[in-house]
Amino acid sequence: MKLFCGCFCVWALTIVGCTTDVEPIKDRYAFEVPANFPVPHYTFQNNPVTADGFELGRILFYDGMLSRDGNISCSSCHQQHVAFADPLHRLSIGVDERVGTRNAPAIQNIAFKKFFFWDGGVNHVDFVPIAAILNPLEMDESLASVVAKLKADEKYRTRFEAAFKTDEINSQRMLHALAQFMNMMVSANSRYDRYIRNEGEQLSASELRGLAAFRHKCASCHATDLFTDDDFRNNGLDASFEKDTGRERITEFAGDRGKFKVPSLRNVALTKPYMHDGRFKTLEEVLNHYQSGVKDSETLDPILYSNGVLGIAMTEQERTDILSFLHTLTDESFIRDKRFSQPPN
Amino acid sequence: MKNFKLLLITVAFLVAACSENEEPADTNGSLKIEFDNVVGSANLQLNSTNQPYTNSLGETFNVTWLTYYISNIKLKRADGSYYIDPVVNDGSKGYYLIDEADAASQVLTLQNIPPGEYTELTFTVGVDANQVTQGAQVGVLDPAKGLFWSWNSGYIFFAIEGIAAASTQPENVFQYHVGGYKLISGNANLVNNLRDVTLSFNGDNPIVNGSKTPEVHLLMDVLKAFNGPGSTVTFTANASRHSPVACVDIANNVQAAFVVDHIH
Repeated sequence: MKLFCGCFCVWALTIVGCTTDVEPIKDRYAFEVPANFPVPHYTFQNNPVTADGFELGRILFYDGMLSRDGNISCSSCHQQHVAFADPLHRLSIGVDERVGTRNAPAIQNIAFKKFFFWDGGVNHVDFVPIAAILNPLEMDESLASVVAKLKADEKYRTRFEAAFKTDEINSQRMLHALAQFMNMMVSANSRYDRYIRNEGEQLSASELRGLAAFRHKCASCHATDLFTDDDFRNNGLDASFEKDTGRERITEFAGDRGKFKVPSLRNVALTKPYMHDGRFKTLEEVLNHYQSGVKDSETLDPILYSNGVLGIAMTEQERTDILSFLHTLTDESFIRDKRFSQPPN
Repeated sequence: MKNFKLLLITVAFLVAACSENEEPADTNGSLKIEFDNVVGSANLQLNSTNQPYTNSLGETFNVTWLTYYISNIKLKRADGSYYIDPVVNDGSKGYYLIDEADAASQVLTLQNIPPGEYTELTFTVGVDANQVTQGAQVGVLDPAKGLFWSWNSGYIFFAIEGIAAASTQPENVFQYHVGGYKLISGNANLVNNLRDVTLSFNGDNPIVNGSKTPEVHLLMDVLKAFNGPGSTVTFTANASRHSPVACVDIANNVQAAFVVDHIH
């Protein structure tokens, strides 16, 4: 048998060798790090992506069974056509039409992030679904109950067996499957990416001026090609933060009051509404905020208060150019990638 | 030289093989650790209908829930070296959940311990950051056990709930959920409520070998958890605590709430 394998490999190699001029078919289930990205943060050694694990995660992602009443799935608030954000609701809507406290963010490139949710309270991709499942304003369900429902479902028993080579269903395997599916959601094929990687894409004069202005005025927070520094900052939305203390909720440190996670700007033209509470409907409103709406407070990021002036100065031309540039971060192939779409049935 | 080494290994192997046959006392053995939860001199009884216990401030209470994680168990040998209870990175080994409602959970059996005399026991109350950052866990660390903070990733290390007449919470409950382990570089403000407990066997040293399984009987005193180096806890204020900062004092008390009662 071993010998046969060896022969087969040589034979396969020969075939590949003969067809080098043809683009190799990419493994649909291989996690690949884009050339312009940093190293991923996820613990893949504990949970490598497999075809069956990924497909199980995909089914779970689209299944309302994760919620108490069966009506709310991950995809209720995270829709592929807008980079897995929620275009309709300022605040997330959970079971019984309950209104959440924050805006549902996009899901993309999460294997590269250290912190999740607007306050960064969750520090591992595996734990992301737990927060949504247990939150009474979102899915309002317990993990034990979800696991019991999965165990009672013939279809899932088969799927778990295929994915994890054991018929025992537990929360770890469910979370691992969801993590496999979500980790694969890598958005790195925007026009900007193809330009920056010298893949033959050209940006317009306005887009290039916008990129230069962006690097000068925005990239200190929206840093690297992930377009976030994965840190927490007070960007001057409010002068006080009684309604939502942000990062302080996790660190219990007054110096973190009103700080929220710096979101990635990938696909930002699709991921309205903006900010942790979805208060801005358009990118124009966001730029207005940075230009003239920044409010001072104890924890305001110093970058937004330099030389005694609040906010970021921009000319009309710079505004227009930055907006043009931000649209180059839209990744059409990501939002159309059939691997991430609702599975049949 | 190589041959000599081989010879030595062979001889050593033969000696080991012989001693295994003739003297089981020199082979690896087990040690049991019992966590017996008490309230002062009384054994803890959950869910009593009255409030049979009294804290150091004279406030009466009962206990409806008591559970805590024990991990990183180390046994010190007479020669100063340590036996370390192995940990597996999916949480399946090396972590123990002591639950007052489950008698079986209160006796841990450490296996495959090298033979010898042991003088001291060390363990952590809680689940450390290294384990949490490995992602979803199994066994007693399965988040479906309900001791995982979904909104602030990490485990509740020590949970005690009950009813105290002095509590101003609805239905006079008190709830103390001690957790918080995060050490994020650049943020010195995060509270770490993990506590290591070191207990000497005070000369009554257990001897572990293949033919004898000693049992270390520990007491965890609820009264000490409410009154110790951290603070004297009153039920009259802040009786519902669910965040790291709110429970630093209880974590400090709990660290001093364990004693070795006896060994047999």
